[in-house]
Amino acid sequence: MNLRSKVDGQPAYVLHTYPFRETSLIVEVFSRDFGRMALLARGARRPRSAIRGLLMAFQPLEIGWAGKGEVLTLMKAEWQGGQPLLAGEALFCGYYLNELLINLLPREDAHERLFASYAHMLGRLADDPAGKVREADLRSFEKALLQELGYGLTLNHDSAGLPIDPEAFYTYRMEQGPVRLEHDEAAAQVFIGQTLLDLAAEDFANPRSRHESKALMRTLMAYYLAGKELETRRIFKELQEL
Amino acid sequence: MAYHLLQRDRGGAQGLSDALAHALQTIRHCNKCNTFTEDDVCARCMSTHRDPSLLCVVETPVDMNMMEQTLSYRGLYYVLMGKISPLDGVSARSLGLDRLLARALDGVIKEVVLATNYTNEGEATAHYIAAMLRPKGVTVTRIARGVPVGGELEYVDSGTLAQALRERKTCLG
Ligand SMILES: [Zn+2]
Repeated sequence: MNLRSKVDGQPAYVLHTYPFRETSLIVEVFSRDFGRMALLARGARRPRSAIRGLLMAFQPLEIGWAGKGEVLTLMKAEWQGGQPLLAGEALFCGYYLNELLINLLPREDAHERLFASYAHMLGRLADDPAGKVREADLRSFEKALLQELGYGLTLNHDSAGLPIDPEAFYTYRMEQGPVRLEHDEAAAQVFIGQTLLDLAAEDFANPRSRHESKALMRTLMAYYLAGKELETRRIFKELQEL
Repeated sequence: MAYHLLQRDRGGAQGLSDALAHALQTIRHCNKCNTFTEDDVCARCMSTHRDPSLLCVVETPVDMNMMEQTLSYRGLYYVLMGKISPLDGVSARSLGLDRLLARALDGVIKEVVLATNYTNEGEATAHYIAAMLRPKGVTVTRIARGVPVGGELEYVDSGTLAQALRERKTCLG
């Protein structure tokens, strides 16, 4: 019998739900031991469904499922509590995390460390009653995501194997990592060495490091998303233009 | 339902089909509140017995009816006909929130009451609308959440109870 065919008490978060047939839902979850899964929640859209209110993104759940072959049926979901609902900007940030996971994480591929980092990140987002988001948290999650997917970042040495000079200028090439720029050499995106070192150490006290790290991460994400534009980024822009 | 009607009640099927055709031709969105109506402006928006300085924002016409059944609200409405849902690609723009903005800035409205659902999408929608209206000098409020009236703690779900605890109030008097 397949390990995945009958599971109980599995820590998980709902990433998104899609209506299925008249009364059911397809639930995309991120589970601790099985990674991203698509589960069928039968009757979850009926008005009196007990599970209906539970299948909310960003809330820690323990779930159980069973099934043969492709389709797995969600049998149980229990709220694990303790975490306020996300509000304000933090809520939109939560959607961003989920959109990244849905687009980048292959199905049924366990990522325990990333799961822990995701849970930690949601806790941090829920902590702030005003729903403010710390950029440092976002960068550290994005880094963990790339690491887990096997796209680890090179931040401590350049393409020639030399240590990063905090005062020198670099550009970042996907297959090579940081490439040191010679005097007056131009590149589409330029980072000062200090930024790379700060990003490696996850120290974002310096505004320049913060700003450039964000730009570098955006480039990396765009590369791995292979041209897919994130809906959450569009909405975030609309929100900031208000 | 369609199969049932075709097999057992062809007359009923014809009636339903005529009603749908009629609705498709005559039903449009109210110019003021955006709900379904056969007129340019619906009867509720035309009423002179309502407080025009209050505007309640709901997701659907059904939600509007629920608010009406409270018999506690005398203001006007705006029905979004949806909600912001980033992962479904529904943004503020596709929801047409610019029309709500224009409606809320008619010079008469003083307070906008956000009665979107207490789901992530309802909350995201409320946050967006508040961020859109606040700088324009409109007071924006959000309906409270908590233990249902007549609800015994024993039967309230833990999420609701936890939120009610977090949003507890000082007892006055
Ligand atoms: Zn109307």
